[in-house]
Amino acid sequence: MARVGVFVCFCGANIADYVDVPQVVEEVKRIKEVKFATEYKYMCSDPGQGMIRDAIIQYKLTSIVVAACSPRMHEKTFRKALSDAGMNPYLLEVANIREHSSWVHQKDKKAATNKAMDLCRMAVAKSIANEQLHEISVPVTKRALVIGGGIAGIQAALDIADARIPVVLVEKSPSIGGKMAQLDETFPTLDCAQCILTPKMVDVASHPYIELIPYAEVLELQGFVGNYKVKIKKKASYVNFKTCTGCGACWQKCPVKVPNEYNMGIDKRKAIYTPFPQAVPNKPVIDAENCTMLTKGKCGICKKVCLPGAIDYEMQDEIIEREIGAVVVATGYDMWDPTPYEEYGVGRFKDIITSLEFERMVSANGPTNGVPQRPSDGKVPKNVVFIKCVGSRDEAKGIEYCSKICCMYTTKHTILLHHKVHDSHAYVFYMDIRAAGKGYEEFVKKAQVDTGTTYLRGRVSKIYKKGDKLMVRGEDAQIGQVVEVEADLVVLATAVSAPKDNPELARLLGISYDKYGYLSEAHPKLRPVETAKAGIFLAGCTQAPKDIPETVSQASACAAKVCGLFSGDTMKKDPMVSTINNEYCSGCQNCVKVCPYGAIITDEVPVGHGIKDLRTVAKINEGVCQGCGSCVAICRSMAITLAGFTDPQIINEIVSI
Amino acid sequence: MNYTKQIQDIAAKLFAEGKIDVFVGYRMNGFDENQVPVLITDPQDVSKLVFTDKSVFNLVNYLKTDHTRRKRVGIVVKGCDSRSLNLMLTESQVKRENLYVVGICCEGVVDDAGEKMQNCTDCMVPDAVVSDEMLGTAVSGSGTLTYKKNADIVALAEKPLTERAAYFEEVFENCIRCNACRHSCPLCYCAKCCIDQETATLYNGANTTSAAFHALMTWSLHLAGRCVDCRNCEKACPSHLPLHLLHKQNESVIYENFQEHLAGVIPEDRGAFYKYSLKDPDDFIM
Amino acid sequence: MEAEVKDQLVSIEKPELIAPPNWEPVIMGILCNWCSYAGSDLTGTSRIQYPPNIRIIRVPCSSRVDPWFLIKSLQTTADGVLVSGCHPGDCHYISGNYFARRRFLVTKKLLNFVGFHENRIQFSWVSAAEGPKFAKVVNKVTEDIKKLGPLHLYKKENFEKK
Ligand SMILES: Cc1cc2nc3c(=O)[nH]c(=O)nc-3n(C[C@H](O)[C@H](O)[C@H](O)COP(=O)(O)OP(=O)(O)OC[C@H]3O[C@@H](n4cnc5c(N)ncnc54)[C@H](O)[C@@H]3O)c2cc1C
Ligand code: SF4
Ligand code: SF4
Ligand code: SF4
Ligand code: SF4
Ligand code: SF4
Repeated sequence: MARVGVFVCFCGANIADYVDVPQVVEEVKRIKEVKFATEYKYMCSDPGQGMIRDAIIQYKLTSIVVAACSPRMHEKTFRKALSDAGMNPYLLEVANIREHSSWVHQKDKKAATNKAMDLCRMAVAKSIANEQLHEISVPVTKRALVIGGGIAGIQAALDIADARIPVVLVEKSPSIGGKMAQLDETFPTLDCAQCILTPKMVDVASHPYIELIPYAEVLELQGFVGNYKVKIKKKASYVNFKTCTGCGACWQKCPVKVPNEYNMGIDKRKAIYTPFPQAVPNKPVIDAENCTMLTKGKCGICKKVCLPGAIDYEMQDEIIEREIGAVVVATGYDMWDPTPYEEYGVGRFKDIITSLEFERMVSANGPTNGVPQRPSDGKVPKNVVFIKCVGSRDEAKGIEYCSKICCMYTTKHTILLHHKVHDSHAYVFYMDIRAAGKGYEEFVKKAQVDTGTTYLRGRVSKIYKKGDKLMVRGEDAQIGQVVEVEADLVVLATAVSAPKDNPELARLLGISYDKYGYLSEAHPKLRPVETAKAGIFLAGCTQAPKDIPETVSQASACAAKVCGLFSGDTMKKDPMVSTINNEYCSGCQNCVKVCPYGAIITDEVPVGHGIKDLRTVAKINEGVCQGCGSCVAICRSMAITLAGFTDPQIINEIVSI
Repeated sequence: MNYTKQIQDIAAKLFAEGKIDVFVGYRMNGFDENQVPVLITDPQDVSKLVFTDKSVFNLVNYLKTDHTRRKRVGIVVKGCDSRSLNLMLTESQVKRENLYVVGICCEGVVDDAGEKMQNCTDCMVPDAVVSDEMLGTAVSGSGTLTYKKNADIVALAEKPLTERAAYFEEVFENCIRCNACRHSCPLCYCAKCCIDQETATLYNGANTTSAAFHALMTWSLHLAGRCVDCRNCEKACPSHLPLHLLHKQNESVIYENFQEHLAGVIPEDRGAFYKYSLKDPDDFIM
Repeated sequence: MEAEVKDQLVSIEKPELIAPPNWEPVIMGILCNWCSYAGSDLTGTSRIQYPPNIRIIRVPCSSRVDPWFLIKSLQTTADGVLVSGCHPGDCHYISGNYFARRRFLVTKKLLNFVGFHENRIQFSWVSAAEGPKFAKVVNKVTEDIKKLGPLHLYKKENFEKK
């Protein structure tokens, strides 16, 4: 039979003034399981805790009720007191007679006392059904996987590796760097993107704790926090990176020319190529779709010219497996395709380009050597019209959200234009100028003064051709009139959109994504870098559009989370998790559907003793379960038990008053 | 509606081809006009099989037994039965590849008095939704399904609360806690039903009105969003409790608030409690 | 049985006839740990006063609430129940309250269908910051149930047992 000890606290006057504490003690003594009850000024103080310890030993108590403040205040304190007396800490229940009684019924001492008694009865009843629980410790594999090698992935990998935790960095393309490697100068300080990025890229390549796997994709992730297994497909590069010296003989001689993605197709690259001169790793890959040796078996020049003999046309995709404990997803963003803007003549007029194309043109290492040119005739443009919010904030044609970075980079573009073409003039059609950020508003104001750019507030309704010029017609809402601007070049600030393969990636990782394809964080305010799946974190634009400073902050935050997770050899977990009783489980798998964390998997067990046939049952991974109880309530046959909130505990509470 | 011949032929063929171990169908009970379910394992016995508008039971219930589990089974399903089969499939209780399903385009079955059953006059999905072979011509029109709210629950809902309370107290008082309702429901296949578990405090012991109230309320909520209105439970109840009232009440709330389709009509679709929508009603919550 | 029905009749129409003198209803409050329980704690720390009729049970999430908690409460100790969780979108466990919300609606309607006044089964979303709202909710539920009087349905055996 249970032997319960009850300790009622005065909390100085906080409880005692409004609840008749001695009467509560007398009342609980009448419950037959209560073998000891007492009162004290401050139960949470050292002498108070001492009383609990002594009574446990003296009265051989089997569970403890402390009637005091909210369990959210001192549950931990009292649990510790139990441990100190050699008792399992989870045999404690707290009756919240302060927040739930003395403080809220200050005008009616009798009622408050009655309620306090009931709360004690409930806690006593519940505690009788309490079971001994033990903290769960889950082993961790201290290695992190970073998916995506843009600035987000680079920063996260470096920060984690600097803490001496091994990192596997998987990048889809042949080089890390992401979109930032395509940028010229960056707002709001106009430092050159390459100058600040390439040293970091080199650090990644040479870091003893980073294993860089470029030209690769994640195929499969299994397991749970601290204990994932990942399968990575390393695409065949047809170049042996170990022997290749990166001399460049191959791509100089390769006869096949294809549009160069890095320069947004403005110039050409070869079928064997490194995406850009500063690429990391600085080794070429063969683009299997376009290499005539691989498609038709004709050519083979690169192999002939390669002195170290690094070219291998027979190379196959390779599957790499790694054990890891945490994942940082940093797959960045795509540029939104402006084709739906037919009235702008997108696709018909060559001299309409996107912002990233402009970025490449003004870039010193770009296809036009840093001076913008009209794609139609190569002339240097004088009048340039920038149109903002192309696709952004446009439910009809594009997407509802604000892409957040376009206002700032368009401002940057007006400055870059002004620097490169001194006698040029820029016009900006805009809806709003959103310049929230440190130094951003100042940057915009200064640019407007320095460049003399004409800002026109309104949407562009039509672009048509007049001679070799483009006529941009739009509304200037400030004067309420339709305006027309003659332009040599039109630059569209196209929206940022989620990477196309995010939904597929999310499915294989077991995390969620929003209606646009951005990966979802666990809580929009308080857990912005975690996903709902423990041990998987988000950095950069894959979660939502953001600029470089924000991307880097989030990446470092991910690193801090990963380091925190790996701070011990095992992770300690609250034992309040669910378990399934095989015998009662019918294998309907409804619980699998409701678990928000994917903690429930299926298992095969023998149908009965000595029978070979197997049947399917559900099984909860205690390392992943967060103890919400969703599965418990939907399991019809009550096969699931949530420790700390079991059915018997709750029934006892309900019927005890 | 008489498919006796066709079903006998199908069963004989399935046995001859060695495709099934057991066939679940109906036979005459041997003393009056009524039929009972039969599990046929001997090909000689296929001549016992019948199918008419007296084939009232939901045979899917027999897929729960050891005679059929993990065996290759031929089975006859009407519209409502087939929906429960769909749910059994979704909830991994049977494997589709182990079944040969004879679907009926059902014109409705009749009760002892020869009257068409209420669930049949109200039926919205008369043709089997899962089958390997269909018998009869499609009964459901091509038009969109309109939900018919059960007349009994509409009538009860209009009565004053106190009358309803009195009515149901009498209903629950008549329950003898035999659990026939649970045993006869194909969707009550749990390895160990909550009602049988040691958490006896839940039901407060055995045969009291209060215990019956608790058990039947819980039971009906376990069928909420899953019950297919086959009324096997009601047919089995020795005390003739109007069990459909509870199920139809839940079904109408679910249909009107969460999903515009009935349980088991969509393959892979789980009961309404195992999914949610952000648009679910919220106005009943303060 | 008859007497019980009569009780119920009278109690709904004229609570004072059936309610013993000084009768106070008991309301079973089932609150989720992260929002509503924290909110009720805040009501306390803010010293906002509310009627003393509610007895609070803490659960991790509103999704832990199996409908039988409500059924059991009503047929044993309570005259009414209040379940409270995090606002939609704020669930500590992401989606728990959405699953719970469906069950709550069906359970409430079913209990009402079999004879329980709808005000005996109430729900609220109370965030950890809504101390005042919690007091308001408890005020309303208590008033509603006082109007309805004691609940006797299906309690007879339990009373006899006591
Ligand atoms: C025109 C323009 C100008 C800009 N100018 C500025 C500026 O001046 N200042 C500023 O602060 N910001 C600027 N930005 C924003 C800046 O580009 C982003 O903030 C930054 O690049 C985001 O970095 P990221 O790592 O999240 O994404 P990305 O740079 O997109 O990197 C993602 C990486 O992940 C890889 N990847 C994708 N999917 C997978 C997969 N499934 N598996 C493996 N790898 C994958 C990609 O190949 C890529 O390398 C500008 C943006 C544009 C469009
Ligand atoms: S809901 Fe219950 S019976 Fe169904 S699989 Fe899960 S544990 Fe098993
Ligand atoms: S308690 Fe919650 S987190 Fe744990 S297994 Fe069940 S549904 Fe998943
Ligand atoms: S079959 Fe009828 S009598 Fe038997 S338990 Fe069910 S409702 Fe009660
Ligand atoms: S009543 Fe509920 S627990 Fe019992 S068999 Fe049916 S579904 Fe399972
Ligand atoms: S509860 Fe009754 S009517 Fe509903 S599916 Fe089960 S047996 Fe058929």
